[in-house]
Amino acid sequence: MKIKKNRLLICLFVAIFFFTATSSARVTPTYAIVNCKIIPVIGSHIEKGIIIIRDGLIESLGPQGKISIPEDAEIIKADGLFAYPGLIDAHTNLFLELPKEEPRRPGAARTTATDPRQKEKAQNPDLMAAKLLKPKKAAVSNLHKIGITTVLAAPERGIYAGQSVLLNVNGEKAEPMVIKSPVALHVNFVTGRGTYPSSLMGTMAFLRQSFLDTAHYFSHKSQFTKSSRGLKRPEYNPFLEALTPYVVKKSPVFFNCANLEDIKRALGLIKEFKLNGFLTGANEAWRVADLLIKNAKVPLLVSLNFKPPSTSIYVNQGEELKKKAEEEIYPANAANLNKKRLTFALTSLGLKKSSDIPKNVQKAIKAGLPKQEALKAMTIIPAKFLGVSNFLGSLEPGKIANVILTSGEIFGEKTNVERVFVDGISFEIKKPPKGAKPTTVNIAGKWSLKVSGPMGEIESTMELEQDGNQISGSISSSMGRWEIRDGILSGNELALSISATMMGQTMDLSFSGTTEKDSIEGTITFMEWSMELTATRIPDGEF
Amino acid sequence: MKRKTIGIILGLSLVFFSSFSFGQDLLIKNSTILTVTKGIIPKGDILIIKGIIKQIGENIKAPKGVKIIDASGKYVIPGIIDSHTHIALTGTNESAEAITAEVKMRDVLNAEDHSIYTAITGGVTMVHTMHGSGNPIGGENVVIKTKWGKTSEEMIVHSAYRTLKFALGENPKRSNSPTVGTPRYPQSRMGVNAIIRREFLKAKNYMEQWDRYLKAKKSKKTTKNLILPRKDLRMEQLADMLRGKMVARCHSYRADETLEFINLSKEFGFKIACFEHASEAFKIARELAEEKIGISVFLDNWAYKVEASEGIAYSAAYCTKKGVLVSINSDSNERIRRLFNDAAKAMKYGGLSEEEALKLITINPAIQLGVDKIVGSLEVGKHGDIAIFNEHPLSAYTLCEKTIIEGEVYFDRAQYLKEREEMEKKKKEEAKKKEKKGGTR
Repeated sequence: MKIKKNRLLICLFVAIFFFTATSSARVTPTYAIVNCKIIPVIGSHIEKGIIIIRDGLIESLGPQGKISIPEDAEIIKADGLFAYPGLIDAHTNLFLELPKEEPRRPGAARTTATDPRQKEKAQNPDLMAAKLLKPKKAAVSNLHKIGITTVLAAPERGIYAGQSVLLNVNGEKAEPMVIKSPVALHVNFVTGRGTYPSSLMGTMAFLRQSFLDTAHYFSHKSQFTKSSRGLKRPEYNPFLEALTPYVVKKSPVFFNCANLEDIKRALGLIKEFKLNGFLTGANEAWRVADLLIKNAKVPLLVSLNFKPPSTSIYVNQGEELKKKAEEEIYPANAANLNKKRLTFALTSLGLKKSSDIPKNVQKAIKAGLPKQEALKAMTIIPAKFLGVSNFLGSLEPGKIANVILTSGEIFGEKTNVERVFVDGISFEIKKPPKGAKPTTVNIAGKWSLKVSGPMGEIESTMELEQDGNQISGSISSSMGRWEIRDGILSGNELALSISATMMGQTMDLSFSGTTEKDSIEGTITFMEWSMELTATRIPDGEF
Repeated sequence: MKRKTIGIILGLSLVFFSSFSFGQDLLIKNSTILTVTKGIIPKGDILIIKGIIKQIGENIKAPKGVKIIDASGKYVIPGIIDSHTHIALTGTNESAEAITAEVKMRDVLNAEDHSIYTAITGGVTMVHTMHGSGNPIGGENVVIKTKWGKTSEEMIVHSAYRTLKFALGENPKRSNSPTVGTPRYPQSRMGVNAIIRREFLKAKNYMEQWDRYLKAKKSKKTTKNLILPRKDLRMEQLADMLRGKMVARCHSYRADETLEFINLSKEFGFKIACFEHASEAFKIARELAEEKIGISVFLDNWAYKVEASEGIAYSAAYCTKKGVLVSINSDSNERIRRLFNDAAKAMKYGGLSEEEALKLITINPAIQLGVDKIVGSLEVGKHGDIAIFNEHPLSAYTLCEKTIIEGEVYFDRAQYLKEREEMEKKKKEEAKKKEKKGGTR
């Protein structure tokens, strides 16, 4: 950035002040959604129904004529639309800003230290997702676009990754989103980073030892509380403290199962230590279906990630089979489990883009998963697993008003989500402009950016992703990373919405302009200001 | 009370029946049967019922519905047992520390490792798949049957000895793996010996601590302020060694440190089942025989590192004649398919008899693994684990044609070749179709 930017910044800061002053208090008006087809998941369909939302809850719902519309309600005409409970994604790594990872130590650790503390330090069972929440506007709107209103956000690194938080995706502020924290302890069958355990077998031994140590620590502590005189005081241990609720009080432990052997490992540990274990990931679950039937009490969270694990017999026998595995065999996981009458939730764990979630649900349906089962697997079943089914997971009076309105049957290929309510807050989904022309260029990649107005000039870099007409990405400058969302490329006309964060406040800048293969030109507008933007492509490898 | 006993009996019988409900029925007819322990039957039949050998002899009639394999002109031997491999595992060494007795290979079985298939193409029906030799005390090994296509649980042989891997010499002191950063203790042979001794002393301490606790708990006086000792999985394993519930399998090349390890076992009172590789075993054959410690060796593979420089091809035969229990291992997912060739070499180098040579890959490894009551030879009552060869298995021209475990055929060369041919044909046809399509465009 150059020195000339200062005046521009001052103007922006003033603008933020006015902007945020007007939007800080949020009201949740009473809504009456009228004339929609209601699929409540629990209870029967209502062809032409009304849903009354008040104070963040579903006040009532029923067929038209039987439900009276309150006077103060804002009427939302939903002719031809379908109403479903908001979808629940019971395992994601979204919304979290994890502490920076220390670089992997070269080679194995050279210690023969048997001090368990050394091993424990490398793990983070006490990492609380609720404290790491950094919701991004783009991520929120991307979830709304596909009808997801509730997510479990979990840290993802390490054997003990940390503890997750359940969120209602009701805006961009962290605290109001939190439904429950902590929800579960997250365990991965991975190895330490250059420290013990450096092998999977070591990880298994490490897990067993830490469960044993936790029980021992707890018993010593309880003994000390009962009669402390003449008893050695237990030494405070934050690692074991963090594990105590999960080992002793049986709070949920999520075991991330990358392959079928991991499922067996997890079931073994759950049985051995009587844990309240959950199996997650599990995209090879159908291969151990009989074992899962025997362990039907263990909640099963099946990922929509269809990439076969590297250990799979389907990936080591030539390209042909590998392709078939990715396109046919693994997408049929859920369908096969359903045939065996196993109950499971569907999650996005391991998927990079949220837009892959509906696509992959469609693939699962194509592979034989009945539509209504897919719907249950993303509504009432995860709600039950997570112990929140008394207020989430279906459209019933008294439950939280997480409602989505769709243009057709959910998970249909042409179905769009038109509007979502989360905690009774309404979010309209912006549609791509009608008659968006096919794109003439692919603008995915890295760009060098120059923004200049009467007030100054900013230089930064921009990274874009393109999915048909839809553009997303981010702008990185010394002011941080700004998300680009709702981008539309029609022909060579480009429109972007940029979530700019300054001084802890987020505001929307909009850009419109034209693009060539290696250049973008146009104007950014924000309230009454406008600035010229030019961008040139950075060839690969120079970034 | 009565009800309880009936319950227990029912429970036990359930366990009994379920554990014996494995396997299939099979009659193998008209082959030359090399029983290994009960001589040779020039033309005989073997009847397997529910996976167990029911009858061996001539002109056995198949009960109704039993599948028959006509093995006229073929040779039948007990399934080959590999006493030392690292196949079917996810990971071999827990290398972050020198002492890792707490890790278990059973936890990381990979039933989809292709090496299992390689093994059955060479008539191997059972393997002892082990922790690597990177640590003075490695992990607990596991014995599996090579039931390709079955789950890892179905492969495990629970009745085998529990074995713990030890290692001496270059590998645990990391002579041949360049270290990055600070080197790991131990760095010398004396260090290896010292660290093993240290760990056993710790284990003794650990056991005493528990004994004291349990004793104090029993005496009614002082229970109030008694703290439960910490259960340490590493120490539990070594305690099991000292209690005789586990046996040592020790990677060792040089004669001197092999003897040192025997002394260590006497000092602490643990049992060594077998020394691995033992390329200088011929120098201490008398001591090994006296101590009833076996060896598991390569037949003619040596000098691949300094400590292996004094190996000789005659060692297996020589030690056998001196009364040492010798087995030939593969330690490899390639050599595993030709262990019978290695056994034959023991006739060439050292002049073992056919039967003695076959023992090196059948009953001897079975004894080393504590499974000689169920496998290792063709006898009534043992598992129907069988390899069928087109020629004498010790011939240089022989091929394993079928591998059978518990009466079930896991490898059938003819069928495999047929399938392969069909697949190639199909591929060619598809390629042709594509070409045609391309042509009309």
